[in-house]
Amino acid sequence: MFDDMPAVSSRPELPVKSATLDVTPRFKDLRSVQWRIDLGVLPSSPSASTDDLRRVTADYRRRYASLRRRLLSDPHTFKDGSNMPDLAMDNPLSQNPESSWGRFFRNAELEKMVCQDLLRLYPEDGSYFQTPGCQGMLRRILLMWCLRHPQNGYRQGMHELLAPLIYVLQVDINRLCEVRELYEEHFTDKFDELSVHESDLTYNFDYKKFSKSMDSPSKSNENARKATSLSDLDTDVQQIVLLSDPYGAESELGILLSEKFMEHDAYSMFEALMSGANGSVAMADFFSHLPADGTNNSSPPVIEASTALYHLLSVVDSPLHSHLNELGVEPQYFCLRWLRVLFGREFKLVDLMVIWDEIFARDNSKIESRDPDGFAIFGSARGAFIAAMALSMILYLRPSLLGAEIATSALQRLLNFPQNVDLKKLIRRAKSLQVLALNAASTLMAHPLTGELDHRKPNVRGHSMSSDSLSPKSPLSLVPDSYWEEKWRVLHKEEEGLRRTGSEKRAPIPSKKKGWTEKIRASLTRTESDPSPAQTKNVRKGLRATVRRSLLEDLSRQLGSDEGIEDIIPQDKCSNENTSSQDSSWVSSDTSSFLNGAVDAEKLNAIYDDSENYASGESRVPISDVTVDSSLIMALNDNCIDKEEKNVKDQKLLLGKLQWLWRFGRGHASEETSDKGGVTMEDPKPSYPEANQNIETESSVMDETHKPCHSGKGDGQDLNMMGTFKNLGQSMLEHIQVIETAFQFQQERAQVGPLESFSKNVLVGKGQVTAVAALKELRKISNLLSEMTVVALTHKFLRETEGRVRVCTEENSEMAMRQFYNEIRGMKVKDLPSHLKLMCSQDYVKKSIQRGLDNYHAKYIQTSSVDPLFHVCFGGMVFSYLVALPEERRHLEHQQHAKEHGGH
Amino acid sequence: MVLVLALGDLHIPHRAPDLPAKFKSMLVPGKIQHIICTGNLCIKEVHDYLKTLCPDLHIARGEYDEDSRYPETKTITIGQFKVGLCHGHQVIPWGDLDSLAMLQRQLDVDILVTGHTHQFTAYKHEGGVVINPGSATGAHSSITYDVNPSFILMDIDGLRVVVYVYELIDGEVKVDKIDFKKTTATTAN
Repeated sequence: MFDDMPAVSSRPELPVKSATLDVTPRFKDLRSVQWRIDLGVLPSSPSASTDDLRRVTADYRRRYASLRRRLLSDPHTFKDGSNMPDLAMDNPLSQNPESSWGRFFRNAELEKMVCQDLLRLYPEDGSYFQTPGCQGMLRRILLMWCLRHPQNGYRQGMHELLAPLIYVLQVDINRLCEVRELYEEHFTDKFDELSVHESDLTYNFDYKKFSKSMDSPSKSNENARKATSLSDLDTDVQQIVLLSDPYGAESELGILLSEKFMEHDAYSMFEALMSGANGSVAMADFFSHLPADGTNNSSPPVIEASTALYHLLSVVDSPLHSHLNELGVEPQYFCLRWLRVLFGREFKLVDLMVIWDEIFARDNSKIESRDPDGFAIFGSARGAFIAAMALSMILYLRPSLLGAEIATSALQRLLNFPQNVDLKKLIRRAKSLQVLALNAASTLMAHPLTGELDHRKPNVRGHSMSSDSLSPKSPLSLVPDSYWEEKWRVLHKEEEGLRRTGSEKRAPIPSKKKGWTEKIRASLTRTESDPSPAQTKNVRKGLRATVRRSLLEDLSRQLGSDEGIEDIIPQDKCSNENTSSQDSSWVSSDTSSFLNGAVDAEKLNAIYDDSENYASGESRVPISDVTVDSSLIMALNDNCIDKEEKNVKDQKLLLGKLQWLWRFGRGHASEETSDKGGVTMEDPKPSYPEANQNIETESSVMDETHKPCHSGKGDGQDLNMMGTFKNLGQSMLEHIQVIETAFQFQQERAQVGPLESFSKNVLVGKGQVTAVAALKELRKISNLLSEMTVVALTHKFLRETEGRVRVCTEENSEMAMRQFYNEIRGMKVKDLPSHLKLMCSQDYVKKSIQRGLDNYHAKYIQTSSVDPLFHVCFGGMVFSYLVALPEERRHLEHQQHAKEHGGH
Repeated sequence: MVLVLALGDLHIPHRAPDLPAKFKSMLVPGKIQHIICTGNLCIKEVHDYLKTLCPDLHIARGEYDEDSRYPETKTITIGQFKVGLCHGHQVIPWGDLDSLAMLQRQLDVDILVTGHTHQFTAYKHEGGVVINPGSATGAHSSITYDVNPSFILMDIDGLRVVVYVYELIDGEVKVDKIDFKKTTATTAN
């Protein structure tokens, strides 16, 4: 029957749990007992003896048994019991809802609904949940609960909350059976065997060594029989024996784990979970459609919880939040499912239990000091953890979510959560987020939650910094775009200089780097001051750029790839403080991981981890994502603040951007790059008007230098290139966001700790703001990059079309087509209306052809109509006519000619 | 547990306009698993109405039925019970227990449901039951004008049948109950 029940050995170990909880749970190996304690079914005080636990368990069981007798009675038996009920009321057709038959029919209806869901509960073949025994148990428990709580009723998903509870009980009971087999004598009545016991103890000594090796399961069977004293057993087993000893106290007390009472126990757990056991998170609320507090203006709890989640997201990761908002992905679209079954749909059962361990381990009692207007889900540690867990899942998907262009694809990603996730990482992040959630909830909640509460927070430091208008959407854009750019530029250059020097000498020579930058700067300032000679300067600049390029090339060869460069930036910032020799080795290892450009979440995590390790190695900060990020930022800030020459920075930054683009061009030189390079360069214009001029001139230079490179590239390369572009864009986006997130964390911290000196705050704030602004610019660039991909695609498509057109058409039509194509070619994709842009993609064309074929198939072929036959005939006719047409025309012309000129 | 509604001799529209309103309000879809009708509906509309109550409808042909496709007799198996169905005008003398018992043996059924007399009767006979649900509309019969509308509902559960008798007397629905236990499992299938 329980074929697929995991053996005890296959139970997931719980290193995470034991390592992270303050107190090691008392029954860490007996999950069902631990859960019962966590859920408030069993007394949680450590002083509660096993007898207490038994007593409480017995109480619950008795209550359940009587409840079951009362509620699940058959109308037949009921009538037999009571003498002569009123037949006018108690008959099957009675309209009275109070009659036993009325109740019976209601129950039947409910049961039908429950059964429908149960049939689809983990329907894999031979699944434990599909066995009749388990189905019956599930059904009865759900029915009982629904009958006990008619205001909630049954809702889909409840069965998925119950199933893991039963599963856990079953696993523990199986384990109990196993233990019982192994240590049989401890379960027998000991009163008669006292003497035997004594004698055993005497030679117990001899077997001490055996009992030590008992931990290894392979030997345990043999040795277990020798280890006769209860205290000799390892604690887990001892626990089990104690919990299940029917003679432990008065014999009337039940045992804690019993197959017979599984249903009773599961019900008590389920009820505690649903009602929250006087805590703040009650799962039943998530199923209700009514506002929790009964007032009309608030939304149902689950919606409120989703809103809370988004709020938290906006604090932690505002770019992602605004992106999802832009797409119109409402939180309840996926949160409903996540929260109602506590992530049961997103994870495998084994993983789910680990997550639930964490969730249940959190205290569910209400936090008193909280603002009553705040989100209810932040009202307790458990609720906050649930929200944090959901958030951590969103963040896990963040790269692909940011890549999603429409709401549907974003939702698809959210609702098809990958199965092979790193659970520990997910939970670890959730834990750090939980702290944040609790803090954020208590600090931010004081203000009305309009969803844009981020505004006032950054103002504190924003005002000191800039007089520019604040962007309404993002709290990060407090600074003029150009300012941050400088900072970014500076950083970039520094790092580049480092690398450059590293490639030349393998030793850091900051002074040299300085000289280099200075030179460039000089040339650039000249360019700006006098527009007319700019052209010549640019030429010179181009030359220099080539030099630089070659340098870069060397460098990149050394590092394994040139695409990785911008990827490493965050780490570099960190590592700037170290010696560069160390840096380069470290960097290169990282770079290689980014080589293929495929940026997925794992890699992002890898970065996280790396930086984590790094930070801890320096022993600067405690280990957690947040703090690591902050360390990162600190480094960044230091760099930023060091620089004073503000007016020169504009130029520097410009240069940096060019370089960056340049590297692109080098890496995957092709027509599209340079073309689009021109396009992209035009775009940023509005954002930093002072820099416009330079950008334009520079870009023209770039175009020129690129020309030779791209003439001979094939289509395959185009494709590659496009892919790389996209990846690059994505990776950039990702990193930018990582840094942004870090900033926000930093901000939080700065706010939380008011003890820090004001001056330091200002300093840090300054640096942050600038860096933030820089990041924003970076974002823009990466957006442009992704745009490029589209444009490049379109070009390729058009070229292909042209080729085909040329082959297929007659001379005349070819001319016409050419004209048409020439017309099209003049157009930029940007000029096309957006709906047309969509239609330009190859996918779209393919899909529409496929659709057409499908339609045809459905309309004619499947209806076995004669029409296709006609179509084929007609088509053949037209085709043959077309084939014959030129010949015919020539013939006619010839005839006419002959006629005109008389005879042959 | 199966609920089986048995009724017959509606004689709509010839002798009665419709089922009594009180009956109609009680008969709601979703509760009843089978309907056994002894015939004389007499028109197709009544047949359709019964179908709305429960799709599993069994009808024997009465002498006034317009639809000639109904069989003269029919046997169905519900749970442990074999139920025979006949209108009863063929069995003479009408409503005679011995004649009906003969038919019961002939059909080899545990429960025989017949009609035609428009009078509710129920006999336990030779380890079986012979039931006449009466006329559901209270239509007069060829024997008497004094007819109370009535029908029965059988609650078949294992080897036990509880027959609920619904009778409209002076505008009030009276419900009665008859218990019947079968001693041995049927060898029917």
